[in-house]
Amino acid sequence: MLRLALKRSLRLGPAVSHTPSAAMVVSRGYHERVVDHYNNPRNVGSFDKEDPNVGTGLVGAPACGDVMKLQIKVDEDSGKIVDACFKTFGCGSAIASSSVATEWVKGKQMEEVLTIKNTEIAKHLSLPPVKLHCSMLAEDAIKAAVKDYELKKAKAAPEQE
Amino acid sequence: MWNRRKNLLLSSLSLLRHISSSPHLPRLHPLKPSHLLCPSNSFLPPIDSQLRNNLLDLPRCGFPRNLSSSNSCSSCWNCGAVGPTSGAFLACGSCGAVQPVDASVDYFQIFGMKKMYEIEEGDLEGIYKDWQKKLHPDLVHSKSEKEKGFAAEQSARVIDAYRTLKNPLSRALYLLKLEQIHVDEEKTVSDPDLLMEMLEMREAVEEAKDTQSLKEIQSKVKKKLDSWSNSFKEAFNKQDFDSAVNCTQRMKYYERALEEITKKL
Repeated sequence: MLRLALKRSLRLGPAVSHTPSAAMVVSRGYHERVVDHYNNPRNVGSFDKEDPNVGTGLVGAPACGDVMKLQIKVDEDSGKIVDACFKTFGCGSAIASSSVATEWVKGKQMEEVLTIKNTEIAKHLSLPPVKLHCSMLAEDAIKAAVKDYELKKAKAAPEQE
Repeated sequence: MWNRRKNLLLSSLSLLRHISSSPHLPRLHPLKPSHLLCPSNSFLPPIDSQLRNNLLDLPRCGFPRNLSSSNSCSSCWNCGAVGPTSGAFLACGSCGAVQPVDASVDYFQIFGMKKMYEIEEGDLEGIYKDWQKKLHPDLVHSKSEKEKGFAAEQSARVIDAYRTLKNPLSRALYLLKLEQIHVDEEKTVSDPDLLMEMLEMREAVEEAKDTQSLKEIQSKVKKKLDSWSNSFKEAFNKQDFDSAVNCTQRMKYYERALEEITKKL
């Protein structure tokens, strides 16, 4: 069901292309890593937003109407990100960028993930220039998720600050 | 043809008598018709374009006059006839030759419409087809390479104009572009309420189990699109460009949702 949902939101079906633009895109070629993330989605899903150990980053690209939600689960003692998931409505590049982002943040410290740059994501996926903003969106989503977690923590224990 | 020129001469001579009595302009001599047809040929004093529009009220090919004053006096490369003083000069009214693209003519001028958001969408198709009857490349296959080239470009431009003006969002964005409002497309948006609403909307579309629920969502989204479309109109007319841009961003999200719904249906 989720795969179907992903396919639909990706507008890219390897077997069936519903629109001329999907067919053109296939022939122009998404990089194999992008296609891989699309065919084998990693970390799609949702955490409980209210969970104090979860940080939610919600970003959007108004130019293309994309929405990206990236969530991190943080171990409060070590400050390490133990799990991450995403939900993205947008093109294949946006979905792949957020998928890569969730993979890369797992097991890292929060300060560390803030140094992940969109250019690294774009390079990893061989994104064409016109899709660079998708990787930027992923970078912003990571930062937003970390910021959200820290805000939550600050609100929860102000006396300890 | 001669009657037109005669009328033109008479009306312009009376106007010129009026001009010549003004202290700011040199005295004029009676003019021959051919000179009048090409005012750029120096005998006429420099007059502003508004006056020129009144002076040279040449009949156009039935297209509505618009308010722009660009396109002051182009002449046909083929027969030399002067094009309309206002309105798009895409094909010559006299010999039918397709003219080269003039990028300063905007899409509203091509359709003879006022440069504003509320337009008569129903009129677009008729005007579009009328233009294509004159400009389509298939009509010029026996003409010169030069004209074939012009036809290909003009025809493509008219298609662009039609598509841009027909869709409310693209029309809105085009209007902003004409006002030199540049929207930074790379900028990420993080307004939580807006994004949450869009996320939930897209999720609802994905999880919709049947045509009925999809159609319900579709009509809700269409209503929102219409309401934001009105907000854009108001903001734009008040020249509140920041709000206008904000409206177009929302409209984009709603349009995306509608596209997804259409695909699912």
